[in-house]
Amino acid sequence: MIELRNLSKRYGDTVAVDDLSFTIAPGRVTGFLGPNGAGKSTTMRMILGLDAPSSGEVTVNGRPYGRLPAPMNEIGALLDPKAIHGGRTAYNHLRWIAEAGGFPRTRIEAVLDLVGLTDVAGRKAGGFSLGMSQRLGIATALLGDPRILLFDEPVNGLDPEGIRWIRSLLQRLAAEGRTVFVSSHLMSEMEETADHIVVIGRGRLIADTSIADFTQRSASSHVRVSSPRGVELAPLLEQAGGTVNVADGVLIVTGLDAALIGRVAAQHQIEVHELSTRRASLEAAFMELTQDSLDYQGGTPDATVAETARALAGTGTRS
Amino acid sequence: MTTGTMNTEPMTSAAALTTDSIARPTTFMHTLTSEWVKLITLRSTFITMGAGVVLSVVMTAVVTLAVGSTWDGWSAERQAQFAPVLMTMSGNVILLIAASVFGALAVASEYSSGMIRLTLTATPRRGQVLLAKLLLVSGITLVLGVITTVAMFLVGQAVLESYGIPMGGLGDSGVQRLVLGLGVATPLFPVFGVALGVILRSTAGAITAVMGMLWLPQVFGELLPAGPQKLFRFAPQSGADSLTVAHFAESPLYSDPALGVAIVVVWLVAFVGAAYFLLKRRDA
Repeated sequence: MIELRNLSKRYGDTVAVDDLSFTIAPGRVTGFLGPNGAGKSTTMRMILGLDAPSSGEVTVNGRPYGRLPAPMNEIGALLDPKAIHGGRTAYNHLRWIAEAGGFPRTRIEAVLDLVGLTDVAGRKAGGFSLGMSQRLGIATALLGDPRILLFDEPVNGLDPEGIRWIRSLLQRLAAEGRTVFVSSHLMSEMEETADHIVVIGRGRLIADTSIADFTQRSASSHVRVSSPRGVELAPLLEQAGGTVNVADGVLIVTGLDAALIGRVAAQHQIEVHELSTRRASLEAAFMELTQDSLDYQGGTPDATVAETARALAGTGTRS
Repeated sequence: MTTGTMNTEPMTSAAALTTDSIARPTTFMHTLTSEWVKLITLRSTFITMGAGVVLSVVMTAVVTLAVGSTWDGWSAERQAQFAPVLMTMSGNVILLIAASVFGALAVASEYSSGMIRLTLTATPRRGQVLLAKLLLVSGITLVLGVITTVAMFLVGQAVLESYGIPMGGLGDSGVQRLVLGLGVATPLFPVFGVALGVILRSTAGAITAVMGMLWLPQVFGELLPAGPQKLFRFAPQSGADSLTVAHFAESPLYSDPALGVAIVVVWLVAFVGAAYFLLKRRDA
C-alpha cells in the first residue's frame, strides 16, 4: 500500500507535483497516466525517497521509504533502465544490489531466469539494447521479491514484442497478488493491463478511477449497420433493446453490440452489407470521465484536463 | 542487439518468484559489501590503481637510475646536498594522482550514469552509503599506498646503493616517518575525491577539482613571493607534508607537525562534512 497525502514538489517557481492525494491499493495493477512532464517521474522519485517533497508526505506500507528496515523486500522499482554503469556485467550489476539487500546469489539467478537474461548475464550491461536494459531493470526490481512494484514507463521505446512481454509480466505479477504501479503517457497502453488508473496533468490529480469505469465510457459507442432492408431491420433491433437512428440510409445503433445485431439480422434472413462498431474516441471518453472527477477535484482548469486528455489519447507527439 | 537469445514470455512460474529468504533489516555490513562489490567489478578500479602503483615504482626507478648514472659527475657540494631517501619517493606524485582519480570515480561515476538513484533506493540511509565509500576508498588506497611507498623505497635504495650512494635503511626512524608516512597519507586526496564527487556530481568536475587541490599549492607556491606563498602552508598537501617530508627538506610551506595535523583535519572535516550535508539534503 502506497499513500500520498497532499504531496507537492516545487522547483523554484515551477510546480512539478501539486497537492496529490491518492492511495495505491494492494493486489492490483494501477496505471499512472499523464503526459510527458506531468510529474509522474517526480512522484515516483518521492515515493522512493529520492526526492524530498516540498510539502505533504508519502508512505510505503505506512512508513516513509527511508524508514523501511528492508526497503527492497517491500518495494522494487524500475526508473531509468539505462542509468547503470555500462562497464559491469548484468550479473555483477545485480550482485552489488543483492549484497546491499543481503539477498543470496540464488536470487540473482532466479530473477535473471525470470526476465530471460541468463544467457547474457556475463555480458557488459553497457552493450545491452533498450529492451534488454528494461529486462535487467525489472530483474533489479524483483531481486528482493517485493510485494509492491513500481515501474516508470516500462514500455517506452520497446518494440511490439518487448511490449507484449512486459504486459504479460505485469499481469503475471498482479496475478500473484502483487501491487503494481506502472506509469505511462499513453492511455492505450493501460487499457489491457491496468485495473485502476490514476491520471495527472501538470502535477495535479485529474482522475482516480477503475479501468472498468473508463472502458464503459469509452464504450459509449455505436454500431453502423447498412442493409438493403434497413427499414425492416430497424424495428427488429428496437425490439431487441437497441436505439436506432437513421442517417444517410445507414442505421446507427446504440445499446446493442455487433454480435447481437448480426444474430437478429440472420434470424430474419436480412442481408447486411456493413456491420461495424465505432467506439467513442479515447479522447472523448477521457473528457467525459474527467468532467465527472472535476467536481471532487475542485478546480483543475479545463484547459489542463483537455490537454491531458489529448496527450494521453496519443493525438499529441509521442516521445 | 541479440534479442534472439531472450525468451518472449516470462518463463518462470509464479511460485518460482517467491523466495525462502526472510526479509531481514539491511545493515551497514550489507552496504559495505555492496560498495566493495561495486569497486571490484569495474575494470577502471584495477587500471587506475594498478597503473598508479606500477608507474610510481617505475618513476622512482627511472629517477634514481638517472641520478646514479650521472653521480660521478656531480659536484661535491651537490652531492652533499642530495637527499637520497627523499629521491626514492619521486614516484609518489603518480600514486597520488591515480588514487585521487580512483576516489573521485568511486562516487562521481554513479552520478554521471544516474546509477546513484539505484544505490540510494537500495540503501536509503545516505550517510551509510557515504561512510562505506569513504572507508573502502581510504582502506584500499592506504594499503596500496604503503605497499607502493615501501616498494619505491626498496627499488630506489637498491639502485642508488648499486652506484655506491650511501643512504639510510628502512630501520631508521626518519626513513620510516617519510616512507610509511607518505604511504599512510595516501588516502587524503582520494577522500577529497569522494567528497568532491558527491558535491559536484560530475566525473570531470570531481577529477579536475581534486587535481587542482593537489597541484595548485605546489605550482603557485613556487611562483609566488615569500609573503603570499606562506598562505599555501594551509593547503592540505602542505599540512600532510609537514608530517611526512618536513624533516628531510626545508620549505616555507611546512608547518610544525601539530599544526600540520590540524590543517589536514580541518580540510577533511570541511569536505566530508559538506559532502554529507549535500548528500542528505539534495534530491538524488
